[in-house]
Amino acid sequence: MPDQKPETVRLTIDGTTVAVPKGTLVIEAARRVGVMIPHFCYHPKLKPDANCRMCLVEVEKMPKLQTACSTPVAEGMAVRTATTTVDDAHKSVLEFILANHPLDCPVCDQGGKCDLQDFSHQYTPTTSRFTETKRIFQKEYFSPLIETQMNRCVQCLRCVRYCDEIMDVKALAPVGRGTMTEIKHFGPHELDCEFCGGCIQICPVGAITSRLSMYEYRPWMLKRADTICTFCGDGCRITVQTKGNELIEVNSAHGAGRNNGDLCARGFFGFHASSDADRLTHPLIRREGKLVEATWEDALEYVAEQALRLKLAHSADAFGGLITSRCTNEDLYVFQKFMRQVIGTNRIDSSARYGHLNGVQALRRVQGTHRWTIAFEDIVAANALLLVGTNITETSPITGLKVKEAVKKRQASLVTMEALQPAIDTLSNITNLALQHFPTHPAQFGNTVLGLTKAVIEGNLVDATLAQQAPAFVQRLTSALQGISWENLEAVTGQTRTQWTETAKILAGANRLVILVGNGVLRHPGGDATVTNLLDLLILLGKLDKPGCGLGPLAEENNDQGAVEMGAVAEFFPGPAPLDDQPVRDRIATVWREELPRTPGASLTEMLAAANKGSLKALFVVGENPVGTLPAEAQAAEALGKLDLLVCQELFLTETAAMAHVVLPACSYMEKDGTFTNSEGHVQGVRQAINPVGDSRPDWEMFSALSVLMGSPLEYGDAREILKEIRTVIPGYGLLGPTPTPPKVDQAVLSGYLTQGFAGDAATRYAVSQPRQTGDGSFTLMFVQTLFHSGKLSTHSKGLLQLQQEGFLSINPEDAARLDLADGGQVKVSNSRGAITTTVKIRERVPAGLLWFPEHFDGEAKQLAEWTIDPRTQIPYFKLAHVSLAKVS
Amino acid sequence: MNVAVTTQPKRKPSFGDWLKTLTFYELLVGMKATLTHLLNYKPITLQYPHEKRLLPDNYRGMLALLRYDDGTEKCVGCDLCEAACPSRVIRVVSGEVPGEPTKRYSKEYYMDMTRCLFCGLCVDACPVDALGMTREFEWAVYDKRQLHLNKQQLLAIGDRSFPVREKRLELQHPNVAFFNVTFKHLPQKEN
Ligand code: SF4
Ligand code: SF4
Ligand code: SF4
Ligand code: SF4
Ligand code: SF4
Ligand code: FES
Repeated sequence: MPDQKPETVRLTIDGTTVAVPKGTLVIEAARRVGVMIPHFCYHPKLKPDANCRMCLVEVEKMPKLQTACSTPVAEGMAVRTATTTVDDAHKSVLEFILANHPLDCPVCDQGGKCDLQDFSHQYTPTTSRFTETKRIFQKEYFSPLIETQMNRCVQCLRCVRYCDEIMDVKALAPVGRGTMTEIKHFGPHELDCEFCGGCIQICPVGAITSRLSMYEYRPWMLKRADTICTFCGDGCRITVQTKGNELIEVNSAHGAGRNNGDLCARGFFGFHASSDADRLTHPLIRREGKLVEATWEDALEYVAEQALRLKLAHSADAFGGLITSRCTNEDLYVFQKFMRQVIGTNRIDSSARYGHLNGVQALRRVQGTHRWTIAFEDIVAANALLLVGTNITETSPITGLKVKEAVKKRQASLVTMEALQPAIDTLSNITNLALQHFPTHPAQFGNTVLGLTKAVIEGNLVDATLAQQAPAFVQRLTSALQGISWENLEAVTGQTRTQWTETAKILAGANRLVILVGNGVLRHPGGDATVTNLLDLLILLGKLDKPGCGLGPLAEENNDQGAVEMGAVAEFFPGPAPLDDQPVRDRIATVWREELPRTPGASLTEMLAAANKGSLKALFVVGENPVGTLPAEAQAAEALGKLDLLVCQELFLTETAAMAHVVLPACSYMEKDGTFTNSEGHVQGVRQAINPVGDSRPDWEMFSALSVLMGSPLEYGDAREILKEIRTVIPGYGLLGPTPTPPKVDQAVLSGYLTQGFAGDAATRYAVSQPRQTGDGSFTLMFVQTLFHSGKLSTHSKGLLQLQQEGFLSINPEDAARLDLADGGQVKVSNSRGAITTTVKIRERVPAGLLWFPEHFDGEAKQLAEWTIDPRTQIPYFKLAHVSLAKVS
Repeated sequence: MNVAVTTQPKRKPSFGDWLKTLTFYELLVGMKATLTHLLNYKPITLQYPHEKRLLPDNYRGMLALLRYDDGTEKCVGCDLCEAACPSRVIRVVSGEVPGEPTKRYSKEYYMDMTRCLFCGLCVDACPVDALGMTREFEWAVYDKRQLHLNKQQLLAIGDRSFPVREKRLELQHPNVAFFNVTFKHLPQKEN
């Protein structure tokens, strides 16, 4: 993006002079001087359409009234918005709209926040001259979550344009002509789309409303709390609206948060999870083999007593802790402080282990930061984007919207590498927008990236200064890649040399290049090597430290980034700083007034192994469910069964909690204060929207209470006090601003990497990895995240369950035809580990030879997954299986 | 602000003033009404409850919920009465009528009559004339919780106070024939 100052234009609006950048629309310029021009079809997010004529204004020297929403400002323009002519125009437009508008306000969910109501009050007489019968549309069932009442539609087409321009879903279309135009979806079935709720939010009237909260509220009854969504790493700002203590609605204001008011289905419709009837409301203690209700005092005293006894009998390292990265930073911080200070062990881990650590480790190693050096704004402003291993629409929908905006509005070149096939479908498909798409087998991301790096080197696209500054680095990579033949790469990956060469040119030619890496890479073996290689690619192109360029690993859980920064993982203290970083150790020790434990940490898998061997005696589990999520091979149930003390802090009685000695009911994100750190490293405030369900408490409070009972109190008045302490440990942490300030590449670390750091594993990183041979079937089954579920909460949300409530096998049409499988039919999926029977769904977006199964409903299916642990990073992988299929008739 | 204080120069009392003081003239003027009533006595206190007063036409008494002539409730649960009420008497819980998809009604409706001012703003606010003010006023109770009325009680008051009922809205105004109707072919909202 050329960073020159845009020209400004001066004009007067109702006599007030205003200077605005050239190209601004009159309606926007008017807003700047506080003049609201009534409008329906205009929305700042959408391209002007000027179809409703509500915004007519008088412009001096123009013979007719002009639509303010589509007229760009011009030097010296004089606009008048409140003359008799303009007023008459407003009246007439409204009279025409109201001629066909039903008198539905009393039963319309928009009543009280309706633009048409407001403008009618302002501009029309209260009586109508029309006596004719009004237009009536056939009422059709739209969908389980979105309700339409087309009699109320003012045909502004905002919904249709939003769904197309912003979401790229194109689920809606106007049907019919003139006043008889109505908004419909496609196909003879109910609406099937991304259910982002965008059309509900953007409809200026009550023609599209949420069925989830239908008839439950009036806008003036609702109390609002601005907080952050818990369902993914994008960290969307949501406004939770409550009536009494009841959750009614979630929405997001235009201009608010990193998401700018856009949400995905999980954020918009998933909020009921917190008020699910299955929530734990009382502490439970195991008595005579059964979990029975207990008071907080009893439960906490029991835990403290047992913990002290075990600590005395064994050692601090007989303890372990496991926390979910869906907790707030405050919870995570107090958790690790409790484990390190009160218990005295570093044996803790969080769900950032499952993948996000791969990204953070690579960033730390190459560029010396643990965060992105870019922000969402850089994605939007990029000239070229490379997406590796992410079906971004389904995993990080809002980051996906930024990518879509870059491509659709700013003509950025998009390159995608993902196990995804371009196809028009009910969900948007990012590969449809790609200039170059590499359909990549899940095990081939590393090799496909190698091809790209090779093309960069062989195309002489390496940055000239780099070749001088770090000749060793360039030579080592060049020789390594020369040793790999194109034929070999083409054979294993199925890509073509020409495509790599073309892509390399696109990336090299871009001023602002952004690489986003998703779960396909991060949560699969070799993830950190692939991310490191992608960083190498940025270095080779000379773009790693250029403004607007950088690499971002996409976090799956909302606070994966925070979990690492709070030191809730085995290898880091808060910072994150490695366990052997003496200055940090000293600084934390001064704040805590206690020495930090010196023993090594232990990851999730190591803890499970230790429990199995009997050396781990007690485990604190916060919101994690290893028994339910890990495949049988991980032997989580056996391991936890051997423990002397298993304490679970949970919202629901999960498989793991059911095995616990004590279960403590925890608050969900709706019931507590704190902060979350999103993928891009932005720390955002979480605010309580409802009272804690039952007797539940925030996780940090439980650790605080336990610490008191165990004799080394960690006392805090509220979450803000914890944040204050976090700021003393990590200076400047989370100074909550509207936008993040991404860190810069640490030049010292980078030059260290370029001289020697890269060399250690260059040989393994720059070698073609051969696909593992298993004796199992020819299909690769992937357990994937879907758009409608995320984390352990979403399957308790009645809205999301109406969108998806069971597992199914997605298969490519060709494969289905070959095996004679019909959509909705039954199929047996089997390998040497087991077999399941499930329903088939034929989807063109699934590449041939691959199968997708939603990980949230993997109950039985999980047993098929291969269980591997990366020996170096200790990251467990269990999202892939090789299977064979057979039709069940 | 400065206020100029002007004091009237004292007038010398005349002979008339002096006489009025002597004869308590002003007191007598004040007592005139009392004395007249004393002389021609006619009782005006009503022997309530044996005798009852004639209420004016616009008397604002106990509130009630009304029905259409086919017996269906008029209230559509729009909540406007709740919003209009200055003393927070009303609480409406709206929802979809069971068995009648997309039709809205008040699932629950409460009036806390201990707080009502009988201002009638709710009656004015109601877009479907579902509220009425009856001529009932004999609502003294021993336990004030009895004045916390629910929908059934309010409908019952309406039933006994307004025996003549209106026709359904669509029969009165063909132009709003599509107001709050049910669509049997749609599924009920899930709960
Ligand atoms: S869309 Fe607005 S004006 Fe129309 S019925 Fe609903 S609230 Fe009333
Ligand atoms: S909810 Fe569906 S139809 Fe509405 S804008 Fe989103 S994707 Fe489009
Ligand atoms: S449904 Fe709403 S947003 Fe869509 S055209 Fe009608 S009024 Fe506009
Ligand atoms: S799930 Fe992610 S993208 Fe969706 S609303 Fe929540 S934070 Fe935003
Ligand atoms: S205003 Fe009338 S229709 Fe609306 S809730 Fe009150 S009584 Fe019912
Ligand atoms: S807002 Fe300008 S024409 Fe609709």
